[in-house]
Amino acid sequence: MTADLSWAPSGGEALGTRDRVELSLPARPDLLFLVRMTAAAVASRADFGYDQIEDLRLAIDELCLTVCGDAPTDGRLQLLFKWGEDAIEVVGVYEPDSGEGALSVDPEPAQPASELSQRILDALVDEHGTDLIGGCPRAWLRMQRRVSGP
Amino acid sequence: MTTDASFDVAETDHQGVPVLTVRGEVDVSTAPELRERLLLLAERGRTTAVVDLSEVSFVDSTALGVLVSGVKRLRSAGGDLTLVVTQPHISKVFEITGLTDVFRIFPTLDQAVAG
Repeated sequence: MTADLSWAPSGGEALGTRDRVELSLPARPDLLFLVRMTAAAVASRADFGYDQIEDLRLAIDELCLTVCGDAPTDGRLQLLFKWGEDAIEVVGVYEPDSGEGALSVDPEPAQPASELSQRILDALVDEHGTDLIGGCPRAWLRMQRRVSGP
Repeated sequence: MTTDASFDVAETDHQGVPVLTVRGEVDVSTAPELRERLLLLAERGRTTAVVDLSEVSFVDSTALGVLVSGVKRLRSAGGDLTLVVTQPHISKVFEITGLTDVFRIFPTLDQAVAG
């Protein structure tokens, strides 16, 4: 794995933990379920509750859509999951290759999916953002564990 | 055609209203099939339809975008696209995106068909 998966938000510090999972896969729409499965497994391992596991599955999906966007589908998606006592961090980088095809669905969407993605991420995670690293789109998110009621 | 064996869209007729019953996960991989089915309804001149999401386990922004396109298309033709949503985590996605103000969402198919 060559992508820079370092924690990127300005002013933030990465989780200091050895609990980390790296995932590298073709940036194909039909493989996004693998990312969601990994997110659910990590969240379960980090002792997150059911609602937050579902939230993380959706947030990770949106993070992947954010970094891949309309990029060709023959690139690779690199993801790093880290978790500590009370939070999970995920960094995703899209590494382009070349070729045809893209993760787009509707050529003339009535409402841009990216706008909906941002609303979802704003609502579900505590911190998220994007930038470019070495010319590759990178996105990250952090989700704090919520304390469930009695 | 999708590669997700758990995803399916079936069309039935309820009291003259076409109903698309969706099962499985609706994401960037499977949403194009739902989009095609909605386009086919419009091409057949149907202006009112129901999308039943009660057996859907996951929706993302691409699925929502497809549904928003569908409702705008049918409303511009004088009809409507209503939804059946029963699962809390699916309802939550519509709530946090503000789409509960866009769609008429019902807890049962009978209510959605009755409009």
